[in-house]
Amino acid sequence: MIYFNLFKEFFKIGLLSFGGGYATLPFLYHIAEQYKWYSINELTQMLAIASITPGPVGINMATYAGMKTNGILSAILATFAIILPSFFIVIAISKLLRKFSDNFYVKSAIYGLKPASCALISAVAIRLIISSVNNIPALIIFVPLLIIFMTKKQSLIFYLIVSAILGLILNVLFKIQ
Amino acid sequence: MKISLWDIYKVFTKIGLILIGGGYVILPILKKEVVEDRNWITEDELVDYYAISQSLPGIIAANISIFVGYKLRGKFGALAATIGIITAPFICIASISSIIAQIINWPLTKSILWGVEFGVIILIISSVQELWNKAIPDKFSFLVFLSFLVAILKFKISPTPIILASIVIGIAYNCFISKRGKEL
Repeated sequence: MIYFNLFKEFFKIGLLSFGGGYATLPFLYHIAEQYKWYSINELTQMLAIASITPGPVGINMATYAGMKTNGILSAILATFAIILPSFFIVIAISKLLRKFSDNFYVKSAIYGLKPASCALISAVAIRLIISSVNNIPALIIFVPLLIIFMTKKQSLIFYLIVSAILGLILNVLFKIQ
Repeated sequence: MKISLWDIYKVFTKIGLILIGGGYVILPILKKEVVEDRNWITEDELVDYYAISQSLPGIIAANISIFVGYKLRGKFGALAATIGIITAPFICIASISSIIAQIINWPLTKSILWGVEFGVIILIISSVQELWNKAIPDKFSFLVFLSFLVAILKFKISPTPIILASIVIGIAYNCFISKRGKEL
């Protein structure tokens, strides 16, 4: 049963996540709420790890969830499940290419999908802010990072490094953990 | 000369290994590896694959790799590219997963990861910002965005029904406006 569920959930991500990058996130958080494969906390920590290890975060999480549930076999299963829809879809439309993206229904579907995907990812961010940025030390880290982000863009790794260092310093000062 | 499946696998394994930070960095890497260094496909083809991959579901990097693999050697080429692109991330995460489970409970790493969570939130906000211009070109799509956002936060609707509903809304909207002489 666990194999079936792993396959089903990660196949669904491969089939329904639009927009690349963090579009897999809403689904990954949904999994954390429904199953015990990994916790919401672990997922957030894995996001940081995934951004400094090779490969897209979706593939990393599929492998990680698989490893945690039942070892290497289920890791292979989950990783293939997330790629499988891509495999069939790309092969099916490979001959059509531009005809595919100019198609009336495809264009219309994508027009609806993109704002929905944007809303799903925004909701993840808003939920994380509500659940984490609710004490003074958290504000001390988050508000300056947000201001830096809005005023002058830094490379993404900058935010991870700075937040890691500040996390360490504030924990020594406030003993949060 | 026929390109061997092993060569396809090797190149995509290399790409998977240097692909850090997600799908957006894959274009320059692919341009060097499969267009400039090997002449496997033209730059125009690559740009097409990239554009279409972004409107397909799933992981963008995987989609492009499958396009290229399929173009080179059909279904088996696509399979070789797929296995190649996941090899490095798979080995990496599989081998550190048990270590991760342990070190996230150490006081030191707990403190660091507590801080990193805020960095991750910034990363997520940044990905919304990157999507924004393409995703929300007009008032109607903004309305779709806003109503879905409220629905997700207030009624805790899971991603699958949201995605399916958005496809229906997109098609219905375009049918509606095309009857009035406009089209997306």
